[in-house]
Amino acid sequence: MEDETTIDWEQIHRRLKAVETAIGREFIPTEQNKKEILRTRAEQLAREDGREPTAEETLEVIEFCLATETYALEMAYVQEVYSLKEITPLPCVPSFVKGIVNVRGQIFSVIDLKEFFALPTEELAALNKVIIMHTDDMEFGILVDNIIGGRSVPRKAIQPAPSTLTGVQGKYAKGVTSERLIILDAAKILTDRRMIVNENVGG
Amino acid sequence: MSLNEEEFLKRLLATFVIEADEHLSAITSGLIELEKSPPADKQATIIETAFREAHSMKGAARAVNLMDVESMCQPFENIFSALKRQQLDISPALIDVLFDALDVIASVIHTPEGVEPVQISQVIKALKQAETGQFESKEPPSMAIVDDAPQAQAKQTLSPPEPQSAESTEKEPKPDSGVEPVPEPVDSEIKAPQESKTPPKKIEAKKQKPVTEIEKPVAAETIRISTAKLDSLLLEIEEMLAAKLVTHQRAIELQEIVVMLDLWQKEWRKIFPEVRKIRQLIDENGTGTGTSRAIGKLLNFVDLNRTQAELIAARLKKTAKSTEQDRRMVGGMVDNLLEDMKGALMMPFSSLLEIFPKMVRDLSRSVGKQADFVSEGGETEIDRRILEEMKDPLIHLIRNCIDHGLEEPSERENSRKPQRGTIKIDVFQKVSGKVRVTVSDDGAGININRVKEAAIKHGIVSKSEADALDPQEAMSLIFRSSVSTNPIVTEISGRGLGLAIVREKVERLCGEISITSVPGTGTSFQIILPATLATFRGILIQVANRIAVVRTLSVAQALRVKLDEIKTVENKETVLINGQVIPIVWLSDVLELPRSTGSNGSKSVMPVLVLHLSGEQMAFVVDRILGEQEVLVKSLGKQLIRVRNVAGATILGSGQVVPILNVSDLLKSAVRIHPGQAARPVVDKKSLTETKSVLVAEDSITSRMLLKNVLEAAGYNVKTCVDGIDALTALKTEKYDLIVSDIEMPRMNGFELTVQVRADQNLADIPVVLVTSLSSREDQEKGIDAGADAYIVKSSFDQTNLLEIIEGLV
Repeated sequence: MEDETTIDWEQIHRRLKAVETAIGREFIPTEQNKKEILRTRAEQLAREDGREPTAEETLEVIEFCLATETYALEMAYVQEVYSLKEITPLPCVPSFVKGIVNVRGQIFSVIDLKEFFALPTEELAALNKVIIMHTDDMEFGILVDNIIGGRSVPRKAIQPAPSTLTGVQGKYAKGVTSERLIILDAAKILTDRRMIVNENVGG
Repeated sequence: MSLNEEEFLKRLLATFVIEADEHLSAITSGLIELEKSPPADKQATIIETAFREAHSMKGAARAVNLMDVESMCQPFENIFSALKRQQLDISPALIDVLFDALDVIASVIHTPEGVEPVQISQVIKALKQAETGQFESKEPPSMAIVDDAPQAQAKQTLSPPEPQSAESTEKEPKPDSGVEPVPEPVDSEIKAPQESKTPPKKIEAKKQKPVTEIEKPVAAETIRISTAKLDSLLLEIEEMLAAKLVTHQRAIELQEIVVMLDLWQKEWRKIFPEVRKIRQLIDENGTGTGTSRAIGKLLNFVDLNRTQAELIAARLKKTAKSTEQDRRMVGGMVDNLLEDMKGALMMPFSSLLEIFPKMVRDLSRSVGKQADFVSEGGETEIDRRILEEMKDPLIHLIRNCIDHGLEEPSERENSRKPQRGTIKIDVFQKVSGKVRVTVSDDGAGININRVKEAAIKHGIVSKSEADALDPQEAMSLIFRSSVSTNPIVTEISGRGLGLAIVREKVERLCGEISITSVPGTGTSFQIILPATLATFRGILIQVANRIAVVRTLSVAQALRVKLDEIKTVENKETVLINGQVIPIVWLSDVLELPRSTGSNGSKSVMPVLVLHLSGEQMAFVVDRILGEQEVLVKSLGKQLIRVRNVAGATILGSGQVVPILNVSDLLKSAVRIHPGQAARPVVDKKSLTETKSVLVAEDSITSRMLLKNVLEAAGYNVKTCVDGIDALTALKTEKYDLIVSDIEMPRMNGFELTVQVRADQNLADIPVVLVTSLSSREDQEKGIDAGADAYIVKSSFDQTNLLEIIEGLV
């Protein structure tokens, strides 16, 4: 399989030599090099130490899909995620109350945030997961299409909700990240008086 | 009555012992603090506390007629009073005297027979001397008094009281079951003084002012500890009920599969000869051709299928059987557990009644009236949670009785009544787990006309409606209140202000309240309460394609009503049930749900539940009545504090969550809705050309009545008999178009009956429908084999189903 292109051995040797010296040099850094490296390292370490994400600086959230949007809720208010099998609708409740579910013997009401936010609800959604949220004196589940997962968002990355987020939805938004993830204000939703159903006949 | 009083005094005394111990220990710790010479301000607080404790104890002792304790407490209290005014200084000698006195008081309370009267008088003497600072001037160091009589006395008692009090405090908190709210004083020593010293005062003792402190918290506190435990225990046991229901559901599912397999086996047996024939044909013609080879293979596979399926069937039957056994076992265990737990939650009514004598006395006095409180049936036991819930309503009713029921003493005298009025609470254990509580007074009674006037004025009823009401109905208007800002009550001398609330509370407990009043003679409120709360029987219904539960207690009747039986009276749709005109509404309308097409269309007969509460009745049209079962109430969660028409939720054996309807709300909502008259479809009268007659054989009277009712409502002529023999006799005397029979019956069961009917030439053609429970599946099979035309499994018992089957057979 000999062909006419001959190998330029000289060039190869030259290159090898260069590589060899380069490698040799790298292995034996000069004093100045050493100092340089250590300094930058120290700088980096010092900087990163400050940036180490602490509990105060990041927000643990659960990310989920609701209609076409991606939302997130603060993990601290999430009790558990429940796969919706069956939901029992209740008569005589506001339309945002989708019904009740049985989670290990305890009954939870399930609400539809889209209804509560008065968002258009035409989109056919999967709505097969329930995020059960709680505070000390309130708990209910919210219906979501899909759970994307948990993540931590640096607080710095959260910007105030843009003015495009108007109405009820904007009111309950804690902020938006650069990836347009809307972080909902779980505490505000949980403590909203309008969420509570307490009706008498004729009342 | 005297027995009741004796009981009561016994309990009162036991309560006093607990209270006195608290006072004593408070004073003791105060004295210990004082001995350490605390700063002046702290010292003042301690003295103040000790003073109040001593004062309370004195009052309490007087209330239970423990004169000795009272007489010792008096100078004791005086000393603290003097300390307070700084007329006396704290000295070790003084504290010693006080400690000694405390010991003697404790002894008198716990073991009165072990205390010599002289000890008491010595204590009193020592205290009185100390009060005047006498001993101080005499000999401040306490050692000097050692030889003194009281001190020696105290030294004697110092050692014995320790074990004694320890013993008795141990006794107190654990009265027999641990549920008793008020510890029973078992100790004879406690009884002794009461018997010997109380006769003249009797219940009056209770009414003495200082008794207040005794009554309220002490007894309740002793139970409050165990209550928390009981509650969590109850919750856990209630969860076990879910396990029971689930096992039941599994057993049913398995049985259903077994039945399916049985049907398959029957089919197989039918087809088997054909299979055999084909095999013979193949064998004869040889397996030469491709087709016959294929058929041969297919036949082999069919055989394999059969053996496999039979194997599965056999194992399944075994599993079904053992599941059924498990179900029974689990069911029995859970039921027993729950029953015991309910028992543990029961408390005698008297624990609540105890607060009333004093309340009645104080209240009546404050309005210038005189009244006695008497009670009966305090030993009746009722669920603790119900008792707690009933406290406020009962207080309210009694307040009402005193405020508005009883007349002024002078007025009473004019109408020749004793000056002192009587307020009475009578508790009576009814059958079927209900308790009746009657609160009555012998006062002026209620003027019905004024009730009516007020109700008309507030638009609750129209004039003509009010006139049409019978006295009982008119009286029950008193429980109505329009929106809270405008209660009818204020108009009728205040009575009823809270009556609507009382009623709501009673009804929330699944109880009922009614009122009777005779002008000039008195008023009486009658409250019917369930004895236990934990679970109740509920009727499962279907409405607007949803399932819901209604408490059986609130269901007066379940029946079927023909559409043309509904007549409009004064713009309201009504139906005649048992000769009574009852308003009828569609439950789906009340629940703001669409009427399901089934109940709207041509169907001429509709299932109806008559719900009743506190004398009101209303018929509700439902889609279907599915059955009855045990139901455990769960709250709807924190977000849904109160939902109109829904009282809670329960979990069915299948795991399905189902709302429990609030009957009280339903009745109110039903009044509010005005169903469009057009909503009712035009009736096409289904003419029954001839009335078919049905013979029902059923040994259970309930089932018998139910079947009769259902069949009659559907237009059949129904004759009932109690067992197979009875049925056979009936069949020989009269002609029937159909037999509906239970299987389990005395003398002759349904299976034997079917065989007999089939064997008789004259009867052989009569269709037989067996109504059976699932647990006797073998009987089902036998029945079918014997020639029954249909069987209905009771657990899936459903009127529509039964009627459809019968319709198909006759």
